[in-house]
Amino acid sequence: MIEKELIEECRNGDLHNFRKVVEKTSQMIFPVAFRMLGDEDSARDVVQDTMVTVWQKLAKIKNAESYRTWVYRIAVNKCYDQLRRQKKQNERRYDDQTWAIISNHISEEGITELDNSENARIISLLTDKLSPKQKAVFVLSELEDIQADEISELTGMSKSAIKANLYHARKNIESLLQKYL
Amino acid sequence: MKMTAENDRYKKIMEILRSSRPVLARPEEIEDEVIIRIQRRDHQADRVTDFMSSLFGWVYIGWVRRSLVAVAAIMVSVFIYQQALILKQVTNISRQPVVIGSEPFPGSMTGFDNKLTIYKFSNRLSPASEIKISEKQLDQILESYNDLRSKYKDLIRIIEEDPELKKYIEEKLDENRKYKPEI
Repeated sequence: MIEKELIEECRNGDLHNFRKVVEKTSQMIFPVAFRMLGDEDSARDVVQDTMVTVWQKLAKIKNAESYRTWVYRIAVNKCYDQLRRQKKQNERRYDDQTWAIISNHISEEGITELDNSENARIISLLTDKLSPKQKAVFVLSELEDIQADEISELTGMSKSAIKANLYHARKNIESLLQKYL
Repeated sequence: MKMTAENDRYKKIMEILRSSRPVLARPEEIEDEVIIRIQRRDHQADRVTDFMSSLFGWVYIGWVRRSLVAVAAIMVSVFIYQQALILKQVTNISRQPVVIGSEPFPGSMTGFDNKLTIYKFSNRLSPASEIKISEKQLDQILESYNDLRSKYKDLIRIIEEDPELKKYIEEKLDENRKYKPEI
């Protein structure tokens, strides 16, 4: 959790304290960016861009309490931009190695933790066909466990749109699981 | 039954993904890079601000300073526009033939260069209109002009040879000059 005082000092142009804000905020937004983009390097770029934007616009936020939501919103928007760029470059093919990894993990008894590389491969495989909005809703709701009210605030989507996007995302992933496992 | 199996798989994979929170490796690299980028941007912004302050720093009232900047920008734009216009006109003028003296085309007018000069000259006399002259018409003009020149020379020679006629013409010219209004 980031202290309000720290935010207030940064709002007055304290770059030294902003380093502490970067340290804490990066840990907060990196998983969202990582899961939305399915790529560690792209997620690191998004975190950097987000923090530069935060510094430029920090003076404009109404109060320090709204910092968390505000910074998530910036990060999600940066992810949208990144996804739009990626869409033009990537055309994913069937990846049997990753499906084998997923199959192994599902068949195991307990819950095994994935490292970053496995995590990225699985997420990008499962969410490849989702639209940026569906990805955002899926990551925020299913993986980050954020409530619909807050997701609505972060993404600007209505609650019904969030429900619809989540439904389609789930359906899409379930059909992939059915097809390849 | 089939749906339940898919549901179970989905739930299991979600549990795995949820429990495997991505770890940000080398966070200090991100911190350093962000600070460097911010300082670079601030430095660039400072240079613009310094330049503006060196020009308008003596004005302390914000809106007056902004107005001055706006006026300066407009004046610079107008200046550039004027210069472009002048340059265009100078280029046009440089294409026109230069006529010095009372006889625009000394000597007999033959050859393509002279024809071209006459053509340009006729355009200069009425620049607004688009006059197109055929080569035949141009030859006719040249012929008339040469004829006129030779008749003018003959007339001058006749006047020079006859002193009485010369005296008479000079008197007539003097009379004409007397009636001319003084400008």
